[in-house]
Amino acid sequence: MLRRASVGIDGMHVQPHAEPGPARRMAVPQGWLRVAVPVIATVAALAVGLVIIGATGNSVADAVEALWDGMAGSAFNLGASVNRAISLGFVGLGFIFANRANLTNVGGEGQIAMGGMFATAMALHGAAALPFGLSFMLPLAVGTLAGAGWGGLAGVLRARRGTNEVISTLLLTFIALPIVYWSVESFHLLRKPMTEVSSLPESPEIADATKLPMLIPGDSTSPLHIGLILFAVAAVIVWLVLTRTAFGLKLRAVGLNAIAARRAGIPTGAMIVTSMAVAGGLGGLAGAIMIQGQNFYLTSDFSSGYGFDGLVVGLLSRGSTAGVVLCALLFGFLRSGSIAMEITAHVPAAVMLICQGLIVIAVAGSTWIVDRKA
Amino acid sequence: MMEDALIVFLGSGLRLAMPILLAGTGELLSERAGVLNLSLDGMMLSSAFTAAAVSWFTKSPLAGLAAGVLCALVFAYLQAILSVTLRANQLVVGIGFNILALGATTFAYREIFGALSRDTIPGFGKVHVPLLADIPVIGPALFQQTGLTYVAVALVVLTWAILKYTAFGLAVRAVGDDPRAADKAGISVTRTRYLGVLYAGFAAGLGGAFMSVADSNTFTEGMTRGAGYLAITAVIFGGWNPWKTLGACLLFGFATALQFLAPALKLDIPVALLLMLPYVLALFAVAGFVGTDRQPLALTLPFRRA
Repeated sequence: MLRRASVGIDGMHVQPHAEPGPARRMAVPQGWLRVAVPVIATVAALAVGLVIIGATGNSVADAVEALWDGMAGSAFNLGASVNRAISLGFVGLGFIFANRANLTNVGGEGQIAMGGMFATAMALHGAAALPFGLSFMLPLAVGTLAGAGWGGLAGVLRARRGTNEVISTLLLTFIALPIVYWSVESFHLLRKPMTEVSSLPESPEIADATKLPMLIPGDSTSPLHIGLILFAVAAVIVWLVLTRTAFGLKLRAVGLNAIAARRAGIPTGAMIVTSMAVAGGLGGLAGAIMIQGQNFYLTSDFSSGYGFDGLVVGLLSRGSTAGVVLCALLFGFLRSGSIAMEITAHVPAAVMLICQGLIVIAVAGSTWIVDRKA
Repeated sequence: MMEDALIVFLGSGLRLAMPILLAGTGELLSERAGVLNLSLDGMMLSSAFTAAAVSWFTKSPLAGLAAGVLCALVFAYLQAILSVTLRANQLVVGIGFNILALGATTFAYREIFGALSRDTIPGFGKVHVPLLADIPVIGPALFQQTGLTYVAVALVVLTWAILKYTAFGLAVRAVGDDPRAADKAGISVTRTRYLGVLYAGFAAGLGGAFMSVADSNTFTEGMTRGAGYLAITAVIFGGWNPWKTLGACLLFGFATALQFLAPALKLDIPVALLLMLPYVLALFAVAGFVGTDRQPLALTLPFRRA
């Protein structure tokens, strides 16, 4: 049983078992390092990526041109990049929310998967005929709740059984993915009927009324949908809750020292469950938006890679909402660009994975620099 | 018909259990020393690729195996620097390594093999154990495996013996449970943990190489498919005990292999259920609903001399 293992993520918060130091150490962290380290890590990793592209005999200029074209070369590519950034951003917001309570949610992928699956089920069965835009709002809400349940489960296990949430959210992801696979494999669940010529393991397309409205009505060149507005609202709410409310302060107290927080009368268990449920709910919403905004039907691997990308976004942003927005845009654009790079310039998109891996390792590995005694 | 299905079931169950058994057994020792390597999957994947590539170029699966293990050891050494010396968050670093390994192997595979993608590479042949291999059903299933299968069983015995009977094993357990006391008793926490992580890297290297040069004789992108995570799951479910971990690996392997037996038995078990079974069991185990084993007390906690 993995119990009480402290997971102070890359030192964003003081570890509960750290010896008490002068209060000033908390109050005046080496602020500029907190920004500089992820920025330097990102720039260095991308430079390594370019070197790898050049060293393997590819034209760096062609690759960069294809990358740029894929990121923002056309209205369609631009919209697709932003849509991708939205999904990563939601997961990143969830990550920093739970991390405020010193919890590390690595189960974004499973939460996206559950959200997408339940949103699809709701859209296919019952939501399409609803009036006043409820037809697309209800599936979004159901997807959010599904993700919240999946994340909240890890919170309950942490609060009641002391189970390390890194392990439980990871295991829950590996449980969620076969469930989605199951749902699109089985005709009595979400798989589209056999009447088609080829019966791929995927759901039928959801009704138009359940799809997200486009951001710019009548513009068919851009896939940009109202998910962007939802994300902006969510980012502001998360920022307000974390920095301007008593709830945010209590979360921080639980994260800094759970025992002291409990003595001060904060219901730590409820805080842990709530923060994990919020994190999961944001992941679930991301999944619902992916299905209702761009994919329009469920496949077993639609969430592939988004969870870990979102984790990287949350990790790099070091608890800052603005950081999440910036990092989500960065990775959303880079990912979209790298896919185009593979198609046009024949440079494997995997080079972007190399960069991402290097960034995570560099940021996590530089804790000792940032948290050095001042 | 039934007999054939049973042979396939037993053989493939054992085959599927091997990579996670090899990697899991090494990881067990590292975790007993207090270091959890989520990077196990990355170590396995990089070893699988390196073994395949070297075996392809040298036409020697043994050279491939050696190169694969070496590659995993390099990975493990970097993981040790980060988790032991730099005291980084072990779990986050592990995830970073896994992303890196997936990217690096996929990239290198496309660059080196590209069009050759479906080619088979030189691999290990099967070893026929004299006499035992002739037993009906069990013989062909269990005693016509590649040599690495027997290495895996030997590794379990070795790990158990190290932990139980050697001074190093005692140091590992001490460092994993109470590093401060171990340090005061003159045991080097750093050295012990480095060796633990390297042991896990060695074993994960064998497990990864098993997948490419002993089992499938090919490399496919992301071919570990989370086998490293499954190995860690097996260690947790096995309560950090070598024999129980062996049992967990076999259980996971045979549960997955059940999909080959189910049609012959006219059983309609959804494949998805078999795929998620190990993780459900592990979730129950980490939540403390199964068994009474406890984890090493200092697991994932970096050590700093006060």
